[in-house]
Amino acid sequence: MSKEKTKMIHIQIDGKSLEVREGTSVLEAALQAGIEIPHLCYHPAFPSEGSCRMCLVEIEGRPDLELACSFPVKDGMKVSTQSEEVTKARKNMLEFLLAEHPLDCPICDKAGECKLQDYYEQYGFFESRFEEKKEKKEKKVEIGKTLLLDQERCILCTRCIRFLKEITGTRELGLFNRGVHTGVNIYEGNPVENNYSGNLVDICPVGAITDKDFRFQTRNWFLGSGPSICPLCGRGCNIDIEYHPGFPHFPVPKRVYRIGPRENHRVNGYWICDYGRYHYSYIDEDRQEQIVDNKKEKLDSWERVLDFLKERIKKLYYMNKTSRIAVLTSSWLSNEELFLIRKIFQEDLNVEKIFLTDPLPGEEDNLLLTPERSPNSKGASQMGLNFKELDLNKLAERTEVLLMFGSHITEHFATAQTQEAIGGIETKVLLNPHISDLNSLMDVVLPTCVIAEKEGTLTNVKGLVQPFSPVFEAKGHCRPEWEVLVNLAKKLALNFRYYSPFTSVKPIFKKMQKEIGFFGTKK
Amino acid sequence: MIRVLGNFIEIIRGSVITARHFIVNMWFHIVNLLGIKTQRKGAVTIQYPEEKKELAYRHRSLHRLVKRENGKPRCVACMLCATVCPSDCIYVEAAEDPDPEIQKYPSQFIIDLSRCCFCGFCVEACPEDAIRMDTSLIEVAGDNRDALVYDKDNLLR
Repeated sequence: MSKEKTKMIHIQIDGKSLEVREGTSVLEAALQAGIEIPHLCYHPAFPSEGSCRMCLVEIEGRPDLELACSFPVKDGMKVSTQSEEVTKARKNMLEFLLAEHPLDCPICDKAGECKLQDYYEQYGFFESRFEEKKEKKEKKVEIGKTLLLDQERCILCTRCIRFLKEITGTRELGLFNRGVHTGVNIYEGNPVENNYSGNLVDICPVGAITDKDFRFQTRNWFLGSGPSICPLCGRGCNIDIEYHPGFPHFPVPKRVYRIGPRENHRVNGYWICDYGRYHYSYIDEDRQEQIVDNKKEKLDSWERVLDFLKERIKKLYYMNKTSRIAVLTSSWLSNEELFLIRKIFQEDLNVEKIFLTDPLPGEEDNLLLTPERSPNSKGASQMGLNFKELDLNKLAERTEVLLMFGSHITEHFATAQTQEAIGGIETKVLLNPHISDLNSLMDVVLPTCVIAEKEGTLTNVKGLVQPFSPVFEAKGHCRPEWEVLVNLAKKLALNFRYYSPFTSVKPIFKKMQKEIGFFGTKK
Repeated sequence: MIRVLGNFIEIIRGSVITARHFIVNMWFHIVNLLGIKTQRKGAVTIQYPEEKKELAYRHRSLHRLVKRENGKPRCVACMLCATVCPSDCIYVEAAEDPDPEIQKYPSQFIIDLSRCCFCGFCVEACPEDAIRMDTSLIEVAGDNRDALVYDKDNLLR
């Protein structure tokens, strides 16, 4: 981008001198400089439409007010966004928009993050002068599997139509009828059915398109939001997890209420796919929260579990029989965790039987969703772990200690088959954030964290290493895998000097950068 | 000596005042009993709980959820009352109403009266005039905490 030869020109907005690239619009220049000009229909991902007429500004030398979103900057231009004429025009435009708006904010899911509401509070505050009856339109049109359209609330900014034209190219929505009867709708019998339909809810500046999944669940001002990375495919889309921190005196039915995209032009732009948006139930549902101890060895705390593991591994280590340890990893683990597995098992203990169990590949689409159904397949392949081909007989042959991360093996083999193969193994330990069929087969099941609860880095399919941090605290006994691995290494008294600084993820990442070329050159 | 005498005089004067009030009030109590001069009460005190004071026009008493004409609650579960509540004692859960003109109704509406401070903010915040504090019920009591957690059935009146 920076290599492109573009002329820089100087303009003044509200007396502030700015240097902007030629060809940008006044609105873009103002937004870059942090000057706010209200706008509803403009979205940085599409060419400007100029249908909401909220972004009117005064430009010196022009007889009328101009639309900031479509007026290109010129050298020496002087723009005023706060003059009396502009504020008056804004107020009048808002009055036009609100004249046909139903004002059903109490039942609108967008209330609280609605741009029309915000602009009325900032620039409006007029009494309604509209005495006629408002136009009646459809209040509840099902336009897609997860989308509901309220035509009364629509302000006809056409962001949704432009999204389906420019980004997905599916063009399911269109403008119908004329005058006050104009409304967005689907072409008969053809609902919005693409993998990016959820983004329409985000880009709708008002509550015209709402999400069935989030409908009436809570009010959005109760929700907190934390940045994270979507672990459901290899793309590593940047997301915001919106969760309920809980009421002081009443229980809340669930933690995570919705997932939204976080802008990152190196990965996902402004969008996320519906697969990532609606499959967030893995964070809260079927979670393993307590340590399961099927052998009745009183393994009720992490301390005891680690002692138990240490005993088993140490025995084999002293007898020089570490080939009898098998480790099943998964690319749902972060880079740091895979690095620790490499360090502890492959290098320090000389374990040969290291396998990779990944979820089975799924469908991909041409925008974001990749066939890999795990967030770190690239990182796992670059870690330098010598993965053996996944084979139950090889896995079980003369194995005495089995350490399994994640339960994705159930996708490759039937549970009965797995049970038969690993049944003879003396010590079977599963580290899994979820309750699975494997729980009854294992001796010990240890609860671990999902991506939203821990810290680390993930490598997406393009090789971009992205850090993530916990959005909320882990439930119950859940611990992040890296912490378990570091504590195990300390218990085993492997190279104390090496492992002792690993009290957080940062030093592990630094060590990994030093030792593994792939992570050192990038970053 | 004179000071001590002065004290005695004041004590006697005080006793006379007390006695005068007693005799006058007693007189009116007796006369009121016979049904004479009822405008002038024997005492300003009210014999609660047999006798109750009339509540002020703007008083705040136990909440109620206002009904629509068809008996359903007027509340649309916008949760503004729960948002504004300074003691966090209101909990609302919304559900889908089949009527597209209503769309949203509260499937649960709970007020924990043991936490409520009767500030009336919920009434102020309500955009639908669905919650009011005009039931004139000011004697809210219970012998356990759960008895003071009122749900939709208790509040709809």
